[in-house]
Amino acid sequence: MNISIKRFLSSEGVANFASSLMAIIIGLLVGLLILLVSNPRQALNGFGAILFGGFTDMKNLGQVFYFATPIILTGLSVGFANKAGQFNIGASGQFIVGAFAAVYVGVKWTFLPGALHWGVALIMAMLAGALWGLIPGILKAFYNVNVVISCIMMNYIGMYLVNVLVTNTVFDSLKNQSQRVASTAVIPKMGLDNIFRAGNSPSSVNAGIFIAIIAGIIIYIIVEKTQFGFELKACGLNPDASKYAGINSHRTIIISMMIAGALSGLGGALLYLAGSGKSIEVLDVLAPEGFNGIPVALLGQGNPIGIIFAGIFVAYLTVGGFNMQLFNFVPQVTEIIIAVIIYFSAFALLFKDFIRSHYAKDEDKLTKTRPVSQGSLGGDK
Amino acid sequence: MDYIIEMCNITKKFPGVIANDDVTLRLKKGEIHALLGENGAGKSTLMSILFGMYQPDQGVIKKNGEVVKINDPNDANRLGIGMVHQHFKLVQNFTVLENIILGVETTKHGMLKMDEARARVLELSERYGLRVDPDALIEDITVSMQQRVEILKMLYRSNEILIFDEPTAVLTPQEIEELMKIMKGLVSEGKSILFITHKLNEIKAVADRCTVLRKGKCIGTVDVASVSKEELSEMMVGRKVDLIVEKENKEPGKVIFEVENLTVKDRATGKNVVNNVSLNVRAGEIVCIAGVDGNGQSELVYALTGLITPDDGKIRLNGNDITKASIRQRNIGGIGHIPEDRQRYGLVLDYNLAYNLVLQSYFTPRFQKHGFLKYSEIYKYADELIDKFDIRSGQGARTITRSMSGGNQQKAIIAREIDRDPDLLIAVQPTRGLDVGAIEYIYKKLIAERNKGRGILLVSLELDEVMNVSDRILVIYEGEIVAELDPKTTTVQELGLYMAGSKRGIVA
Amino acid sequence: MDTIYFLVQQMMYFSIPLLVVALGGMFSERSGVTNIALEGIMIIGAFTGILFINMFQGMLPGQPILILAIIIAAATGIIVSLTHAFASINMKADQVISGTAINMFAPAFAIYVARMIRTVQQIPFVNQFRIEKVPVLGDIPLLGGLFFRNAYITTYLGFAILIISWVVLYKTRFGLRLRACGEHPQAADSVGINVYKMRYIGVAISGALAGIGGLIFVIPTSTNFNATVAGYGFLALAVLIFGQWNPFKILLAAFFFGLMKTIASAYSGIPVLSALDIPNEVYKMIPYIATLIVLAFTSKNSQAPKAEGIPYDKGSR
Repeated sequence: MNISIKRFLSSEGVANFASSLMAIIIGLLVGLLILLVSNPRQALNGFGAILFGGFTDMKNLGQVFYFATPIILTGLSVGFANKAGQFNIGASGQFIVGAFAAVYVGVKWTFLPGALHWGVALIMAMLAGALWGLIPGILKAFYNVNVVISCIMMNYIGMYLVNVLVTNTVFDSLKNQSQRVASTAVIPKMGLDNIFRAGNSPSSVNAGIFIAIIAGIIIYIIVEKTQFGFELKACGLNPDASKYAGINSHRTIIISMMIAGALSGLGGALLYLAGSGKSIEVLDVLAPEGFNGIPVALLGQGNPIGIIFAGIFVAYLTVGGFNMQLFNFVPQVTEIIIAVIIYFSAFALLFKDFIRSHYAKDEDKLTKTRPVSQGSLGGDK
Repeated sequence: MDYIIEMCNITKKFPGVIANDDVTLRLKKGEIHALLGENGAGKSTLMSILFGMYQPDQGVIKKNGEVVKINDPNDANRLGIGMVHQHFKLVQNFTVLENIILGVETTKHGMLKMDEARARVLELSERYGLRVDPDALIEDITVSMQQRVEILKMLYRSNEILIFDEPTAVLTPQEIEELMKIMKGLVSEGKSILFITHKLNEIKAVADRCTVLRKGKCIGTVDVASVSKEELSEMMVGRKVDLIVEKENKEPGKVIFEVENLTVKDRATGKNVVNNVSLNVRAGEIVCIAGVDGNGQSELVYALTGLITPDDGKIRLNGNDITKASIRQRNIGGIGHIPEDRQRYGLVLDYNLAYNLVLQSYFTPRFQKHGFLKYSEIYKYADELIDKFDIRSGQGARTITRSMSGGNQQKAIIAREIDRDPDLLIAVQPTRGLDVGAIEYIYKKLIAERNKGRGILLVSLELDEVMNVSDRILVIYEGEIVAELDPKTTTVQELGLYMAGSKRGIVA
Repeated sequence: MDTIYFLVQQMMYFSIPLLVVALGGMFSERSGVTNIALEGIMIIGAFTGILFINMFQGMLPGQPILILAIIIAAATGIIVSLTHAFASINMKADQVISGTAINMFAPAFAIYVARMIRTVQQIPFVNQFRIEKVPVLGDIPLLGGLFFRNAYITTYLGFAILIISWVVLYKTRFGLRLRACGEHPQAADSVGINVYKMRYIGVAISGALAGIGGLIFVIPTSTNFNATVAGYGFLALAVLIFGQWNPFKILLAAFFFGLMKTIASAYSGIPVLSALDIPNEVYKMIPYIATLIVLAFTSKNSQAPKAEGIPYDKGSR
């Protein structure tokens, strides 16, 4: 094989993509297996529904974008915090407090004119989410509290708090959920509903998908092009060395958790202001969109642009899962597939090493870059 | 011949490197056998093979003339082989006793029999003069006590062949002497000892024979009594080594850096780990803080560089009070810092070389505009430094730093810190773990900076380094500066006494 | 007095599962493996246990069927936990990611299977397991009312697990080795302890106890299983931290959290508290807020096993 091709195959980006692809393939195979075990005759039809359901008509495609919107944002949230070395498992709590802030503004602040109304609702949602990210950030920076644990706590505190607040402010007691927001607070459709529809039945897609994509691009620029991104990645890769280099790691961690929280909060707002009739239900259940951000971030390998595509992919599987009900399958198969994908994404390192060792061997001999690693020499330091 | 252990023609390869290449080592019963070599010569790998942690690719191990297979530390233990690792393998929140019995516990009805074990440990420590409190927690006892626990672990297992991996690095000169006595005592009780080191004095002091490794190859085995230190050193390095550094006399200039009555308290115990330290560094001189590891050097450096806030005292750089300044302010203000653990504190190993080279300057107008980084400028600058400081790496500025050799990683840090033109350079154990070539390079750079009129504060544990490189020596003991010495008029022995705290001088 | 009896009896329903699951988490973390999959494993354990009860109820008397269900829940818990062990130990994967995958998999799997075989996702069962009054012991003044009336055998099982856990952890060879693996795996390895094996066992114990915990959470508090354990796995994680990885402190933490849950669900029946008129969500939030506060004060000086969450690589000694 040509050396430049080998170098390409062993490059970081390709290795990342290949390991994501591998996880997806294994996940889908497990899904197929489950379908085969539970109903062999319909299994292939059901599997086809998962694979192609999102493409069957324009409405379904619109639904893909509608479902993708919130999870792209929670995915960005998880991925961004991860750049700073933090595992933001608190996207769920940030998401729901953001959703509440948006719904509250949407229901109560009707004095705001037209476009300003939903705009302000989004900003308030981001602030609420940022606050929910700020607390684990501060606890980590000043008290060295493990972010995973504090985020889990914040998820439940957020959920119960939103339940109290909904019940006391914007409650629709008949349906045990939040009231509908004013029409001015609904995100504009920008004509998308005319494109993505099946006959008379439009999909729920709206300008939110554009906001999600723009958010992804902004995050990409922050991470890759700015001084703050440089500091953020340095803190994530080696907090000690960053501190020695004069980077204010406390500030960096806190700001990155706030931005992560704001992204999740925005995701909550975009879902509940989508005009699809969805309201915050007063239930003791964590918002699943927050947890779905984890596979999205993993599949996107932390790259903001990759996360946009990963979000669309996961939404595509979700829509496919709904379509599968036509064949009497239960849509939870999609969640099982996603869980398996997460599980195998955790092996990404192994896949990457495998790919590298497979393609990088010959190159080593040529360029002689192989490290004399401390570990392999038995710690002769 | 009466060999208790023979390692014959051992070869061990790791990806891209041959750690041991046809190495043969024979240990006589009842001798202290030194294994000498530079960092990376393959000493630890060879011992790890003997201890069952690696399998050799070629070669055999014999005990009392019979071929044995050592698959894991359990096998080694069964053959009577024990090891004191360089980094102690002790569980910090376990007691001494628990650490000793771990892995060879005796039980009754499934419950641990602690009393029996305690009696045995007390008996052993009595017999070998290794007094320890079996019920103390490891985290509460000193390093030399911890080493005794490691030795007791081997004795408790009735090991006959004892491997000591660089055992003196963490000890004071007095503790080293004590250890030598213990080793001789063990040999007289019939044990055989393999002693890994790169310190020639210690070999001369205790070892009977010595096997020398260089770059994975066995250079030879000699009777210690029949060779000189110089000959040993030449065997180890492969050429005549003369680490006596060329350095012309230079009259120091004005005071650049002043520390007054600096005190740092330990957060947990409230004890003063840095105790009322005053010192200054003048332009064009190398001031060395000498001391045994763990006498407050790290905390002193943390306070000077801004990593921790001192509890009391003042720090002035060029006359400006920087006691409360942030790390970044100090860096910009003229302090360069070569930290003690380059991989942990000096570099972001997963960043490429260029990023690491601008780690202290990415925020300056040269490399950023309105918060956006100027990548072309960063890579241009990195290429300049790579050229100027002869940093070798696979793919130039874009090499991931993790894949570079230790010496080149250190060169990168030195390039970054020196090129910022600091008035004061703080270098903490800058040669640790490097081979002779890299050590020479670093000494040359430090002296060149001194000659340019910079002030250099060198923190070192190596007596030779202290004596050869510095213009002035400050000895630190238990957080206090206990002596100020002139390397031209003082001896290593004298320095050792101050470092051990058994002598105090008048501090100017 | 009756109110207090009622409160304590109620509290046991909440505290015992928390205790059992947190003790499970303790074994995993003490061996060096973070296990945030406790929630998912609880769900799977409850699912298989309740499914078994649902299918065999009526064929066997109450207590034996419960014991069999507990064994089944423990076994499935072990199986699920082994996938986490494989990822964490052999694959050196990020343990939070693998745990998250299991937490996502478990409810989806429970709903999927329930609906495929029964068309609805709820699995009902008849509670024939409550012991009105334990003979003799139930008549002891005070204690009888507190612990031996309206109780389940699971309560006593929970206390038994507590005592066994303490003995195993601190008095046996296995416990000493397990703790060494979580604190300093290199040290354990150097004295010939198989770190991988110890960690597998630690995770498997956590799987067994979490599986049991899932089942014994559902039984006293519901009459059907709906693919959820209401975040108790995460709450158990909080109990574990609150209890600083120590069995008896974990017991106290489990009582505290259980009490808060009891108040949240029953405060309207308690005159003093209903007069305060605090929304029950506040009581539900208290355990989580308390955990955050405890974390803030203890994290700099945490008793957490030092090697927790760090994959052990035989190469890097």
